[in-house]
Amino acid sequence: MSRAALAEGEPEGPGEPRARRPSLNSEEQEERIAARRLRIAARLEAKRREALGEDPDAKKAEAEELSRSHKQIEESRQRLAKLLNDGTQLVTNIQVAADARETQRRAEEDELKRQRIEKLENESKTNQDKFEEITSKWGSAKEKTIPQDLWDVLNQQQQQCALLIEEKNKLISELQQELKSKDDQYVKDLKKQSDDINLLVERMEEQIRNLMKTYRRELTQIEKAFELERREQLSSNKKKWEQAMQAHNAQELENLITRMQKVEEYEKQLNQLRVQDAEEYTTIKIQLENDVQILEQQLQQMKAIYQLNQEKLEYNFQVLKKRDEENTIIKSQQKRKLNRLHDVLNALRMKLAKQIKQFQEENQTLTADYKRIVEQYKDLQRTMRHFAVVDAQKFLEVWLMNEEEAKGLMWKALEADRIIHTQQLGLPWVEPDYWFLDNVGPIVHRKAIRSASKLAQEVMALTESSQQEEEEGAVEEGRKEAGEEVKPPRHISVKSVKHILELLCDESGFLIESKLLGLLQPLERHERSLMRLDAIFAALDIDNEDDVYALVDFFLKFKAQQVGSSQGKEWAEEQVPEELAVDAADSDEGSAALQEEGTAHQSSAASPSSVLFHPDDVLKALKAFVLDFQKPRDKRPQLKKVLEERDDSKDSEYWEALAHVIPEPKLKVWDALEAALEKYYSVLSQRSKLLTDLDGLQQQNTELHMLLHQYLTSKVNEELLIPPTHVIELMPP
Amino acid sequence: MQEPVSGDTNMASPPLKTSAANPAANPRRMRRIIAEDPEWSLAIVPHLSELCLQHIISNFEKNPIVDRLLPEHQRKVLDRISTGLPLIVTANLISDEGYWKRCCTERWAVCDVSRYGGSWKRMFFERHLESILKYFIPNTTDPNQVLEVIPLCKEYVRKLEIDQFLPPVKLDQNKEEDDMSDSGSDVGVDELCMHHYDLGVLTAALSHLEELHLTYGVKDCGMNFEWSLFDFTYQDCCSLANAFKKCHALKVFKLCRSKVDDEKTRVLIRNLLDHPCLVELDLSHNLIRDRGARAIGKLINRSKLEILNLCNNRIRAPGAQAIAHALGKNSTLTSLNLRINCIEDEGGQAIGHALLTNATLTSIHLGGNELSEPTATLFSQVLAQNTALTSINLACNHIGLDGGKQLLEGMSDNKTVTEFDLRLAEVGQESEYLINQALKANQEIARLKTLCQPNSLEEKSPDLD
Repeated sequence: MSRAALAEGEPEGPGEPRARRPSLNSEEQEERIAARRLRIAARLEAKRREALGEDPDAKKAEAEELSRSHKQIEESRQRLAKLLNDGTQLVTNIQVAADARETQRRAEEDELKRQRIEKLENESKTNQDKFEEITSKWGSAKEKTIPQDLWDVLNQQQQQCALLIEEKNKLISELQQELKSKDDQYVKDLKKQSDDINLLVERMEEQIRNLMKTYRRELTQIEKAFELERREQLSSNKKKWEQAMQAHNAQELENLITRMQKVEEYEKQLNQLRVQDAEEYTTIKIQLENDVQILEQQLQQMKAIYQLNQEKLEYNFQVLKKRDEENTIIKSQQKRKLNRLHDVLNALRMKLAKQIKQFQEENQTLTADYKRIVEQYKDLQRTMRHFAVVDAQKFLEVWLMNEEEAKGLMWKALEADRIIHTQQLGLPWVEPDYWFLDNVGPIVHRKAIRSASKLAQEVMALTESSQQEEEEGAVEEGRKEAGEEVKPPRHISVKSVKHILELLCDESGFLIESKLLGLLQPLERHERSLMRLDAIFAALDIDNEDDVYALVDFFLKFKAQQVGSSQGKEWAEEQVPEELAVDAADSDEGSAALQEEGTAHQSSAASPSSVLFHPDDVLKALKAFVLDFQKPRDKRPQLKKVLEERDDSKDSEYWEALAHVIPEPKLKVWDALEAALEKYYSVLSQRSKLLTDLDGLQQQNTELHMLLHQYLTSKVNEELLIPPTHVIELMPP
Repeated sequence: MQEPVSGDTNMASPPLKTSAANPAANPRRMRRIIAEDPEWSLAIVPHLSELCLQHIISNFEKNPIVDRLLPEHQRKVLDRISTGLPLIVTANLISDEGYWKRCCTERWAVCDVSRYGGSWKRMFFERHLESILKYFIPNTTDPNQVLEVIPLCKEYVRKLEIDQFLPPVKLDQNKEEDDMSDSGSDVGVDELCMHHYDLGVLTAALSHLEELHLTYGVKDCGMNFEWSLFDFTYQDCCSLANAFKKCHALKVFKLCRSKVDDEKTRVLIRNLLDHPCLVELDLSHNLIRDRGARAIGKLINRSKLEILNLCNNRIRAPGAQAIAHALGKNSTLTSLNLRINCIEDEGGQAIGHALLTNATLTSIHLGGNELSEPTATLFSQVLAQNTALTSINLACNHIGLDGGKQLLEGMSDNKTVTEFDLRLAEVGQESEYLINQALKANQEIARLKTLCQPNSLEEKSPDLD
């Protein structure tokens, strides 16, 4: 059934989307292939589904088919589930009942506890009251003095106490009763629990028994159902199989009969074909024999042609052989020649290699020599430098020593001169002021090299001042000063320098950093142009006066070249200074009036300035200058070194001057003074001699006095009758 | 030639066995048997390998050789060695299940290997360790008895199920004497000395321990019953809590019937917080009140707890509210059991509210909790909204007829609950019957769903082929 359903349901599924199913009996090959493919796919699909046992299409049919066993299983399952459920419920009922009892017991217990506590509290309260009553009575009892009363009261108290205790005891016994009952209950509960557990076990066992039994029964039933189903299925399948076999047999028989028929038919056709073929064969044979005869004739002809050709070719072969021989001879000759030439070539190569080697060696020795010489030269230079330094040092030391000596002598002379002047002659002494006095060390004849910027500054300042001077009616001296200050090489005028510098300043703004430009903005024009020039010089690597002059010179030459190319040379030469002046004035003042003047000039001179030095040309000139200027720049340091040699032309003059620090007239004065002093000295010496004589005489005198006195004072005198003292007194000295 | 040999080994082994049993006890008897045995012949001698194996078996204790033998010989040796060999020899050497099965069946009458993951060796070691611990008496038993076993069994023990801890014995006697004289003063003294075995060392050593079932109590005490035998002291609690710190693999922890009160619960919970793999916690049949419940509520959200059993405790409304609050935020707990507590309507409502938001809890047991109609109304709402719950138990409550109707209403909208216990809940037969009908329908749906899943899997597997 399921397979039938499959067979029916299957083709429609995939067939639907396509308009026409490809059929196996179609005329087209492709369609047949497609049809076969489809058939295979369908078969595979069917097999797969069969293996799965579950197919969406066949499910319904299967469900119907298997319904008996399924129903049985379902029934059994439900029955078992119910049994299990009921059984579990039966078993768990005990637990639930126990739980319920427990909760109830707890609730009751809580209630009882609450009641008990209440009761106890009440009890304690009432008893407390009673106790207080009793204690209050003790006070009154103490007041009692009569023994009977006291006894009564005490009795009462005792009774009351007894009552109180009794009540308490009652309570205790009640509680104990309760405890006992609880114990009993506990025992009961225990018993109940054990009963419960027994019941539980019993039920569980029963359930297990039941379950086992029912499971077994259900299992057998299910098995039976399956068996039945299987048997049915088997019989149905067998029936189907037999039917299919019968159909197959019939089909086979039919096929056999049709095959026999076809075989007979084909045999007939074969015979017919054989007859036809025999006839055809004979006709063709005759025709072919004719053809063979014709072809043999042609073969004979061909053979004749072949022989002829053979002879021709043999002749050709002989000729070629001879040529070949000749060629071999020539080839051998050539080969020999080639060998010879090869030998020559090899010899030459050897020679060349040897030569190269030789030259390399020579080169190496030479380079070694060269290196050595260079080394020596360097050593020599070093030693020379060293000696130069040492010489200079020595020279300086000798110079200093001599100078010191000379100066000492000179100062001595001058000091003497001063002393002579002040002390002897009483004249005021003026200290001589000579240039060499302050000089210490060897005279260095140096030409200060001014920095480019300084020069520029001076030039700018100068022209301004000179112009002013000119305007005011120039003073000669000022101009001289200015001229001295700025000494350009003779062929370059200061003004032209200024002009070119200004041009540079205006045109080569690109060499200045933009930051600097911003900084320069607030400055006044003159200063700004100076700063800009500074920056430009820094950029162009110009740092001293000479460089500036070189620049200006170059510009002038450049201009001259340009002019020469464009205009008449002489005309330009005439115009240059004038025009430069005008231009300088023009750019310096910048005023309208002067500009007018300038324009007038320009109009008269056909504006040569623009032609002479157009601002546009500045850049070209600058570029050329930078290229040219770079070369001499490299040689500069060496030149400088050479120039450092000392100029000793002024040395003798210096020493001369030192020697003649005291002039000739002063010497004459000194001579006269010496003569006079000589005389003065002789007088003085005479006088001193006289003085010494006088001293001697005076001494004699005093000695004599002493003697006299001695004589006079001696004791002999007293003995004398007439002491000489008396005499002396008498005789006034 | 082959046949006689095999027959010979069969014949040769019994006499050898007897000789092993009573070596040369009565050689005459042996000889008689030989004489009467018609097949016996001196020409047939046992194989040398057989003799060697026999020797190995008899001297196994001194010279255990198993690994170096051929597999067939290994088999023979393992089948025949004595089960009474010391564990030091066998524990790490023998991994053969057959040997351990023999050990187990010889030692215990009832052996359910399915409870031990199908491993006889694990079963042997777990039960061996359990029996040692069960009869361990502090201060009397030598602690080395436990320490010696630890290195042998630490690789195999996954679960420990100890249902009794014995208190110290000497003090027990003293206490009895004290009891006779004075019952009031000895409690304090006893408290100090009634501590049980400290599990700390054990848990630290057993790195694979996953389940721990403990009951601090004494079994079969009979007429020697004392309350103090069942004391779970504070120090016990502390040492147990400290023991947790050392076993990180613990998944299931059960501490039942041990008089755990709030203080002890809090100590335990404090040490269980943020435990890396604890999945099940069972504190049933204890004395936990609201404070303990609050601590447990905290634990719910600070662990991976999935199953929580708090049945038969003293939790009231505030405790239930705390647990409900935690439940509202939780996404791991799947089962909650609060049977026989007294959470009443307030607690029940709180839990109902929590269930409106919770989407992981599948099973809840609130039997015997003095719940009534208000909780039922809320639960009908829960039934209508929640799709995660599959099992609800409200047995032994006072839900009443109206509550039953409301629950029925809720149940009519629900398609997931498959178990709903309303026995002894006073809901009326009609609604109980109807609810049961709805449950059956739901069970059917669930069954089909479970059937579908394996079917789909089956369908997929051939497709892949």
